[in-house]
Amino acid sequence: MPQWGMAVDLDRCTGCGGCVVACHAENNISTVGDEQAAVGRAKHWLRIERYWEGDFPDVRLKFRPVMCQQCDNAPCEPVCPTYASHHTDDGLNAQVYNRCIGTRYCANACPYNARFFDFFNPSWDKPLQLQLNPDVSLREVGVMEKCTFCVQRIRAAGTQAKAEERDVADGEIQPACVQSCGARALVFGDLENPSSEVSRLSRSPRGSKLLEDTGAQPSVTYLSRLTQV
Amino acid sequence: MTHPTGQQITRDLVRPLLLTTWRFYVMIALFGAFVVAGLVAWLSQVYFGFGLSGINWPVFWGFYITNFVFWIGISHAGTLISAILRLVNAGWRRPVTRCAEAITTFALLIGAMFPLIHIGRPWLAFWLIPYPSERLIWPNFRSPLVWDFFAINTYLTGSLLFLLLPMIPDFAVVRDSTTGIRQKIYRVLALGWRGTPKQWHRLESAMQIMAIAIIPVAVSVHTIVSFDFSMAPVPMWQTTIFGPYFVAGAIFSGIAGLIIAMAVLRRLLHLEDYLRPLHFENLGKLMLVMALLWGYFVFNERLVTYYGNGPHEMAVFWRTQRLSFAPLYWTMVVCNFVLPLILLGIRRFRTITGCVIASFGVVIGMWLERYLIIVPSLGAKYLPYSHGTYTPELVEVTITVATFAAMCLLYMLFAKVVPIISIWELKAGEHPSPALIPPATEKHQLGDLHL
Amino acid sequence: MKAVYGLYTDGASAQQAVNRLRAAGVVDADITIISGQPMEDQEFGHRDKATWMWWLACLGGLIGMSVGFGLAWITEMSWPMNVGGLPTFAWWPNLIIIFELTMLGSILATVATLVVSALLPGKGGALYDPAVTVEGKILVGVENPSDDAVPELERSLGAPAGALVKMQ
Repeated sequence: MPQWGMAVDLDRCTGCGGCVVACHAENNISTVGDEQAAVGRAKHWLRIERYWEGDFPDVRLKFRPVMCQQCDNAPCEPVCPTYASHHTDDGLNAQVYNRCIGTRYCANACPYNARFFDFFNPSWDKPLQLQLNPDVSLREVGVMEKCTFCVQRIRAAGTQAKAEERDVADGEIQPACVQSCGARALVFGDLENPSSEVSRLSRSPRGSKLLEDTGAQPSVTYLSRLTQV
Repeated sequence: MTHPTGQQITRDLVRPLLLTTWRFYVMIALFGAFVVAGLVAWLSQVYFGFGLSGINWPVFWGFYITNFVFWIGISHAGTLISAILRLVNAGWRRPVTRCAEAITTFALLIGAMFPLIHIGRPWLAFWLIPYPSERLIWPNFRSPLVWDFFAINTYLTGSLLFLLLPMIPDFAVVRDSTTGIRQKIYRVLALGWRGTPKQWHRLESAMQIMAIAIIPVAVSVHTIVSFDFSMAPVPMWQTTIFGPYFVAGAIFSGIAGLIIAMAVLRRLLHLEDYLRPLHFENLGKLMLVMALLWGYFVFNERLVTYYGNGPHEMAVFWRTQRLSFAPLYWTMVVCNFVLPLILLGIRRFRTITGCVIASFGVVIGMWLERYLIIVPSLGAKYLPYSHGTYTPELVEVTITVATFAAMCLLYMLFAKVVPIISIWELKAGEHPSPALIPPATEKHQLGDLHL
Repeated sequence: MKAVYGLYTDGASAQQAVNRLRAAGVVDADITIISGQPMEDQEFGHRDKATWMWWLACLGGLIGMSVGFGLAWITEMSWPMNVGGLPTFAWWPNLIIIFELTMLGSILATVATLVVSALLPGKGGALYDPAVTVEGKILVGVENPSDDAVPELERSLGAPAGALVKMQ
């Protein structure tokens, strides 16, 4: 059974935000409008965190794309009273929207604040409703949602490979963010397969996990930035 | 000062059930209007979407959970006063037990509503109940929210029965003192009570068993409420002290609620001869002990965090200690610690008025405490990019006010249909009959038992 | 129903009446005593004290404990779900469920025992006088006495000072 994971090369990330847009388009994430976004209700399953380091004029700008880290020891899972949040065999944190009653406990337990709540029913300005992805369900008001590693693509590739009686090849599955990253900063793949690109990068001496001391054992590895700009 | 006995007790305590003035209806209408406003607020939140509240990313819990913890805390009044004082057979408990048990039941009913108000899809709340559905999906027993469900239901069932059982003989008293439709209703409520020695023994055994059972349940309830926080890896939440800290705080605020309720009852129902300064003084002393205990827990919690000096914890620590939440934090310390210490620690101030003022302070302070546990931690959770804050919106404030009105409303209606002081327990406390007691000073009589 | 009974203002006279009824040959089971409060300081107040309630409460607790364990075990094992790496049946969290249901079981068993043993109408049980609650009297009486015994009973019940003997 593969264990899906991701590697994020911070040295390559330019902070362009292409992955954020691709994520919104792929996963039918409704935009909430500027007023709601201002009070902190934007639903960016994937966000680019910007940090400035140093004092002017020696300022360095750092970008860090943060999505659901698909933790092995996920704090969000056991707190859910209805199993809406649970672990799949291939190492994903599944979120079953139809099973969610909206206690928002998982969002509190998540150290990365990678979970989002639907404060209203989703809506799109015309004609944007025509671009919705038929592979992804819409979420009604009152449920939690989050990055799924584009589970619809993972399942589709798995089905295709099974039909052709072969294994899923490395790099065959690309979540929307990985596919759209012009700098190839994001790499997705099977961590169980030692020869996959993602497991090679995860073993890199530059690699570290985000907030490792919370004990959540995330599946995303960040490769630290070396280039001086 | 004389102590009412025998028939006087029955007359005084049944009177509020039979005589109703226009003031009662005005107050019912007033509180009822607030409750209706709260209901409208909640329904509009369900209809228009949860976004009407001030909840946002990353502060996903706000006023509703604060109120939940607050009301569940208030409900601990009945257990301490009633169950513990019953077990140690403290004579002065007798006029106080039913007031306290009623607070427990109503506060629990109100507190248990808050998870429903708080969740995103309240129409699916029944998924918390373990029932065999056609999809074979059961609740997750490893979730603290399911522990809550079980603990609160057990506590609510227990407290309701704990309140109802000693009411049965009093329903019989009302049945015998009234006529017409009232008598018919109370005849049903009295469940055929007569008062044979067997019935008295069974009732007292049942009350004893219930008292023993309900104390650990009450402790577990607020410990589990604290687990809602301490099970999540959030700065200043994940700490082992939360269990006892929450239980102590719950009893603390429960006593405060009880003192306020007793003072109001004493004034409105003219129970000056029953709820005496002695009761306020004794409850005031208990509250003083709880204030000290609360201060001790807060000191422990803060010192350990401060000494550990973890960056994420310290972000929350300074937020409450010095930064944006500091005004609320220090108000809380004054209300919960300084004020009770002065008003209850100095004997001259430990009057009814002093106790009531201190109680109002504690109720406010304990509400703030829960708010300050929830919001600053969620707003400063780890990654600085995701820090945020929270401002309550109209719908949350309305619902919060409405629940206080609901408490008053339920309590007033209760005092209108049930003798608010247990008649039979009061009478049982006067043995041997007052005629046989040798003359004694007022103080001596009060201290011994009598009431 | 026919009954002879006396109303007494204090426990001591009620006790006297009980003693005289016994002397007149009435067995304890036939003597009805009704009071507005528990009468712990008189001998008659200690009748019928023995009860299984404590044991039944323990039994109820055991049943509750088994239900709690069974519920958690069966539901979790029948559809194992992995959450946060916890065992499918995790003892520590499930102990909470088991504890709450244990307590609930014993509380419900206690109340059920009370209702069955003291509140459901049994044999006799019809003799009553509102004076018990309204005037704080203590009632001592005999239900369904044989006609020959009535004068003797009335004498016994009327003996203590302040007694008020009535027929029903």
